[in-house]
Amino acid sequence: MNYNANAGGRPSFGRKVKRVSDVNAMGYTPFEQGGVNVQQNLYPDIDPDLNSFQSGVPNNAPYKSQGFSASPKASQEQTFNNYGAQPPYPNVNITASPTPNLGVLGQPMVQNMAMQYGQQLAGAGKTILKNEVEKIVPVSKLKYYFAVDTKYVLSKLMLLFFPFTHKDWSVKYEQDGPVQPRFEINAPDLYIPTMAYVTYLLVAGLVLGMQERFNPEQIGILASSALAWCIVELAVYSCTLYITQVETSLRTLDLLAYAGYKFVVSLIGGKSGYYACLIYTNLALAFFLVRSLKVQVLAESNVQDHSYYGAQQPMAGHKRRLYFLLFLACVQPFLSWWLSYHLVVSELVSSTSKTSDGVMA
Amino acid sequence: MTFTLWNLFEASLLCLNAVCILNEERFLSKIGWSAKSANVQGFGEYSSTKSQLFNLLHSIRTVARIPPDIAEYSYNYI
Repeated sequence: MNYNANAGGRPSFGRKVKRVSDVNAMGYTPFEQGGVNVQQNLYPDIDPDLNSFQSGVPNNAPYKSQGFSASPKASQEQTFNNYGAQPPYPNVNITASPTPNLGVLGQPMVQNMAMQYGQQLAGAGKTILKNEVEKIVPVSKLKYYFAVDTKYVLSKLMLLFFPFTHKDWSVKYEQDGPVQPRFEINAPDLYIPTMAYVTYLLVAGLVLGMQERFNPEQIGILASSALAWCIVELAVYSCTLYITQVETSLRTLDLLAYAGYKFVVSLIGGKSGYYACLIYTNLALAFFLVRSLKVQVLAESNVQDHSYYGAQQPMAGHKRRLYFLLFLACVQPFLSWWLSYHLVVSELVSSTSKTSDGVMA
Repeated sequence: MTFTLWNLFEASLLCLNAVCILNEERFLSKIGWSAKSANVQGFGEYSSTKSQLFNLLHSIRTVARIPPDIAEYSYNYI
């Protein structure tokens, strides 16, 4: 039999042996063909006749692209290998003039080459831009938080308002991060807080309009005010976690998500039963927060860190974590009350004064 | 009540200023709020809250001192 020393764990990158009828599906193979072929395969949906066109164009076309002029012969052979079924195109324009002739622009094959070159430049620019932006704002991590679907949103909202019967609060993990919120109801997301924030602004505008103390600047003021509170809260939580050296698996965006859930709660407020609604929903929110964060903050007993001295450290600061959790759970209802207070109380006052006026009149 | 983003920015700027102004070696060491006072910690052990806080303030101070130091230097150079 074939004795193959590393048959066991050989990673299957670059199926080297695969024959070339399927090169466009293979994508980037670093070691098989030269760089020239990479450029050719970036745009598989372009008419494959183009490749044989560009290999047939003479070398001194006015557009000296980096890769094309490298080895048009080699590429020609490879394209004949790749698209073996196609008939070789007659090289019509081999008679090349040494000086760049702009009349050549009119010909379709040059135009096609120019278009392809431009597209490749655009593609390269796009990848560079994406990498740079990724360093400033981690977009791919953000995408995780918005991967939700309707079922998740509905069940999460139900959980926010009635968390008392939910049994299992743990979050399932994938290889390195938690499972997407689409599949795991206990995972935090940023979609609900964002939507709740916007809804809060709109409802606040509505309520202010009903009290006839609305002007368009109020929306802007409310927006920046609520956002400022969120940022302050986030900063306080992050600093507290850092200073007390509590080790959690919560990321900063997780904290932002949990801080944003209170917008959902602050939306609920009626005229008459304002305080009752407030107290109930805030209790529910506090319960929800404590339960869902308890799993991530407190139960770190599985994560023992083995210090260099060999002995396992006892879980430091169990009390600290508890205090942090309670602090978080108390601040959120307070802030949600603060956010909705100035909107509703005057409404209560104005409504009672109106009814009294009605009675008096 | 209306605590806008601008107010937040102002407040944070003032707090940062306060942190930077208090000179460590002249003033804070006397109180005992300095990060340089002798607290020998092993590598794997958890340091106390106070030392963590003072280390944080010290690092903030180091970073946030850069523009005022540049301004001071150029001012003396004129």
